[in-house]
Amino acid sequence: MTPESFAEELLRRRRVAVCIGCGGVGKTTVAAALALEAARLGRRALVLTIDPARRLADALGVESLGNQPQSLPRDALDALGVPSEGALSALMLDMKHTFDDLVERFAESEEARQRILRNPIYQQASNALAGSVEYSAMEKVYEMTESGEYDLVVVDTPPAQHALDFLEAPQRLIEFLESRVVQILIHPAFAAGRFGFKLFQHGARRILQLMERVSGISFLEDVSEFLLAFEGMSAGFRQRAARVRTLLLGPESGFVLVAGPGQEAVRQATELRQRIGGFGVELQGVLVNRVHLWPDGVLPDCLRPGAAPAPADVEALADALARACGPEPAPLELAQAAVSAAKGYAALVERDAGATGALQAWAEAEGRYWGRIPELPEDVHDLPGLARVAQSIFAREDTPIGGAG
Amino acid sequence: MHRPAAGAPDVTGASLLERRLVIVTGKGGTGKSTVAAALGLAASRAGRRVLVAEMGRDEALVPLLDPGGPPAGHGGRELAPGLEALHIDPYEALAEYLGLQLGGTRLVRSVLRNQAFHQLMQAAPGWRELITLGKVWHLEQMRTPAGRARYDLIVVDAPATGHGVAFLNVPRVVASAVRTGPLRRHTLAVEEMLEDPVRTLLLPIALAEELPARETAELVRRVREEVGIAVDRVVVNRVASAPFPAGLDRLDESLAELPQQLRCGELPSAGALTQCARFLRSRHELGHHYLERIAEQTGLPLVELPELAEGVIDPGSLGRLGEALVQAELE
Repeated sequence: MTPESFAEELLRRRRVAVCIGCGGVGKTTVAAALALEAARLGRRALVLTIDPARRLADALGVESLGNQPQSLPRDALDALGVPSEGALSALMLDMKHTFDDLVERFAESEEARQRILRNPIYQQASNALAGSVEYSAMEKVYEMTESGEYDLVVVDTPPAQHALDFLEAPQRLIEFLESRVVQILIHPAFAAGRFGFKLFQHGARRILQLMERVSGISFLEDVSEFLLAFEGMSAGFRQRAARVRTLLLGPESGFVLVAGPGQEAVRQATELRQRIGGFGVELQGVLVNRVHLWPDGVLPDCLRPGAAPAPADVEALADALARACGPEPAPLELAQAAVSAAKGYAALVERDAGATGALQAWAEAEGRYWGRIPELPEDVHDLPGLARVAQSIFAREDTPIGGAG
Repeated sequence: MHRPAAGAPDVTGASLLERRLVIVTGKGGTGKSTVAAALGLAASRAGRRVLVAEMGRDEALVPLLDPGGPPAGHGGRELAPGLEALHIDPYEALAEYLGLQLGGTRLVRSVLRNQAFHQLMQAAPGWRELITLGKVWHLEQMRTPAGRARYDLIVVDAPATGHGVAFLNVPRVVASAVRTGPLRRHTLAVEEMLEDPVRTLLLPIALAEELPARETAELVRRVREEVGIAVDRVVVNRVASAPFPAGLDRLDESLAELPQQLRCGELPSAGALTQCARFLRSRHELGHHYLERIAEQTGLPLVELPELAEGVIDPGSLGRLGEALVQAELE
């Protein structure tokens, strides 16, 4: 796949672009760079991140990132070549706040709202309840997509233990709200005749009572009250969760796998790639971040492991150094150090190429985009840095050791 | 080791291998599981009977220590003489615990298999952390028939930073909320184990990079303020060695003086040589900056683990990392 068709597929034809990948691979930076590229293509793009560090806010040049979108100033966009119809905003997800927003929206009455927000189970569990953290993130994606303010929402996926939890979250929440246990707790009498209740009554209830005795916590009562308060919202909630799911898994969303260059990072990425197939979504591309690339194309054989450059070549380099820099430091030592530094860098290039080879072969065989973002010697901390990342992703410029200029 | 700043908290300094329980934590991607595996391996090679315990959905430690081997599961498995691994499953641990309380596990298991109960438990906060730590406590208490501790050292691969603090804090929260009953007694025993600096050490794993450095400082601060578990050093993983020989620290600047198109025989162009050298120097300087920041913000000595040039984690390189971890104490 060419960079142009990748941009077309992911950034122009979709409403949502999801970056999946394991922790620590630089997903946030990649997501921001993709959003910047979309803006350059004239789209109104929003990057939705979960990275609480100030770094992205700093890099984007906005005051701070909050639960509401922050737009980049027009002059900053002009400097990056973003056309007048394009725009770039960023939003940092505050998970807890998002869930509270939902309660506010769907609660039947002020009283129900207060009852939920005050409930001890809600207070502790709005972060643990059946994938609610991941659900909140996806809910925000839906809200932003539906707002009409943006053509494309780029999502930096939440830091779930399992990197694909967020895809299951809407379904899990629906299942939870429809589950027997919720129905039983809300309508014990209604559920009593149903199949399966017997085991629950004789088994689970005893265990719960035991747990209450052991723990001294009125667990059942709190859960029951919480769910009762929740019931009024559950119809609206269910509908909404179903729409979130359709948006995410349907043709309006595109997916990119972001991988790190190491052996372990590639193994995890490969596992993710296989798992995401199970959701019926296709990856548009694979981007390997922070990969070491050789500066001028092909790595010379004399720098490969086990090889050594001809002594005459090293002496020639020493002579050139003597002419350019004089006798101090000793030119031959300098030349030897230069060769060993180049060998050291070459080893990193070889290592990354070896680790990513199978993933690249897969992407190419399947016709997915394969992009590499070079390891920069410094952190990406400003808009030009993000623009360089975007350039690498879309192979617009050959700057293998990006920060060298 | 970097020395802590003046006025830093007292460092207990006892050997890693003398602890009963070392809890390894760090931001995702820092190599937390690798360090836990390396520590387990080094300790077992030093003659300790070691258990490495992990949690979470997938096993990460066992594939490192025994590539291609079967998973350890909740029942555990011996990977090498003196080295066992275990993957704690909170539901299994709950069944064991309630079974002990009830005097039998059959009813408990049938209930835990019940889907409705399962869904209810999914919604309940805190119990997974508590039961997992309870299981660790139980393992720490295990004795051989001769009365010795079954394991000299238990290495726990804990959840990533952030989650890690919440994880370790659960016994305190429960103990403050639950005033009477067996659960309170058991929770206090777990808390006592965690807060005993002779037995237990928290080992944060950092990288000499911006976000991991920031998160490590935050972790150490929160552990001191909220958790009360001993932390006496920070392990910084994948530290690049000095890129140039002594006296040649400005190699890249010398190379930049050359005509950049120049090629000497088979060697890369002067431009490429300059870029390689410049890259290695910038990266090293940046890494050094973050090392200093971690030391300054935590006030703790740092244990630097080398970056593995080959980048491949296998039992051989794990052995070298383990040696470096233990070696750092002797310096």
